[in-house]
Amino acid sequence: MKKIMVAILMVSMSILGFCAERVFYYVPHAGAGDPFWAVQKLGWETACRLLGVKGIFVAPTVFSIEEQVNMLESAIAARPDGIATTISSDTAFDAPLKRAKELGIPVFAVNIEDYEPPYVPYIAYIGQDEFIVGEVLANRVLQEFTPKRAVIGIHQPGLTCLELRAEGILRVFQNRGIPIEKIDVTPYPTQALEIMKAYLARYPDTEVIFTLGPLGAHPAIDLVKEMGLKGKVRLATCDVSPEILDAIKNDLMICAIAQQPFIQGFLAAVWLYLYVEYGFLPPAKMPTGPTVIDKFNLDIAEKQILTTGGL
Amino acid sequence: MIDFVKTRFLKIEHRYFPSVGVLGSLIIIGLVFGFITNKFFKLDTLAGIFTITAEIGMVCIPLALLIISAEFDLSVGSTFAFAGVLGALLLNQRVNSFLVLAAAIIFGICIGTINGTLVTKLRLPSFIVTLGIMFILRGLLLVITAGFPVSFKGSNMLLFVLNGKLTGEFRMSFIWLILCVIFFHFILNHTRHGNWSLACGGNVDVAQAMGIPTSRVKLINFMLVGATSAFAGMLSFARFGMAYPTLGEGMELEAIAAAVLGGCALRGGFGTIFGASLGALLIASLRVGLVLVGAPAYWYRAFVGLILLIGIIINKEIMRQLVGGEQ
Repeated sequence: MKKIMVAILMVSMSILGFCAERVFYYVPHAGAGDPFWAVQKLGWETACRLLGVKGIFVAPTVFSIEEQVNMLESAIAARPDGIATTISSDTAFDAPLKRAKELGIPVFAVNIEDYEPPYVPYIAYIGQDEFIVGEVLANRVLQEFTPKRAVIGIHQPGLTCLELRAEGILRVFQNRGIPIEKIDVTPYPTQALEIMKAYLARYPDTEVIFTLGPLGAHPAIDLVKEMGLKGKVRLATCDVSPEILDAIKNDLMICAIAQQPFIQGFLAAVWLYLYVEYGFLPPAKMPTGPTVIDKFNLDIAEKQILTTGGL
Repeated sequence: MIDFVKTRFLKIEHRYFPSVGVLGSLIIIGLVFGFITNKFFKLDTLAGIFTITAEIGMVCIPLALLIISAEFDLSVGSTFAFAGVLGALLLNQRVNSFLVLAAAIIFGICIGTINGTLVTKLRLPSFIVTLGIMFILRGLLLVITAGFPVSFKGSNMLLFVLNGKLTGEFRMSFIWLILCVIFFHFILNHTRHGNWSLACGGNVDVAQAMGIPTSRVKLINFMLVGATSAFAGMLSFARFGMAYPTLGEGMELEAIAAAVLGGCALRGGFGTIFGASLGALLIASLRVGLVLVGAPAYWYRAFVGLILLIGIIINKEIMRQLVGGEQ
């Protein structure tokens, strides 16, 4: 019943947008209310407006592969000119994307690509390589100094993109022979802070705490402030929030990696248009990050937050 | 041996026996962690454990009372988050600090009232009602915050009173936890409401036949759960100066696990506040202890599951041996 309703909704939305020359769908794995996806949506809508196409953004309220696949199937049923989606599960997306290919609907992967063969069919990927994110973050820290020990606080163990970021960091540090390990800090701020504190008690020689997103970074910032560890324990993280920018400004954090979500949504629409309208062939991967935000480029980073709402 | 324990201790308070399993687990875990690392019993470590315990405990202790009266509340995590976000929004509007706290608690009571009314008046299962309220609150949080964290920058007396540093690494939340334990222990063991809660959970038809206002008892328990969940959300907000819409997701299960570890019978009628608070302490000790002993990072969840199962088996066996009932 739910699937039928979503299909009806999408077909109606397509009909309503019949006057637009082209109709594109963006079906990510999460959307409504999530600041990261709010910025993506803004980028997508901005590009669609500039290009004069009908851009329809549909997403589950919270992360749900099943709901995303249902929406994707409904979008395919609406026979649009192109679809952008996040490959949140290679197995779940195989059948619908094969069907889209059979129907001649071009599909671009955005934000999450298919990490392992056999790859699901899509034309190209727009986003960042999460493994490289970890490597870039680790190398930027090593550019600053060589810590005696480091730890990676992962707030959602098992989430592929976070695990890949962690793997990238681990690879760089292990190659340099620096002791490093992952710990499950949970998404709960109180627990995250106390777990990191316990880790520092066990390994007092820890000089860097890596976190993989704001849910881990915010408690880490509070930990350094509360325990007066500024200069002794330094932080580095992925993704950006006002608190993280403050921490960079105040020398609590070395850097943060931004993947520039606005441009992911924006480029998804642009590339669909270029592909459909002019037959441009994109490269297999079009990176939008990793971009290192540190105290040397804070001004321009703040401008992006001001104009697009996120980074 | 069992007979000796039975005759010797049952005369004292057999209702405290559910706590034996969790107490035993706690002692064993404490000894193991203490043996492996001398850092486990350091004051700073204990302070960290109590800080985590306070947050889980403030939710699981009233929840234990509700479970004892044979009802559930899955909306505690979303009430927790909503109260934190509400507190941040109101403080940013320069509303008087203690009015902010009052507003958050009243909000929690309202949620409890809605839950309780739907369960008792419409005879709906609490599992479904509170699940629905949980989704509604999470949805509203996303709408209100647009998914962004809500921060309060600045100092405020309320933040200190709720969760400021007390001494060393000990925080005010520890005091609130102790007050919460005393308050709910008193309610359960020394008031008519506590007795009625046990009766509601034991056999609601018999309780009604005896003239116990079962609906009112359950409604009050839902309200208490709502109030303390909101208060716990304010504790979290007070420490970090921010709250976000996904705060406390999954907390309901952790709180239920703590209450069950503490000996609460899931179908009601049995359990103690002391046991539930030990359940929260056990979960917090595992969190910190596993990191301190350098256990592989991803073992925590498996350990909690294992301890939960062992704890329940021990509790069931103790109850079977001592009370002879099927708890």
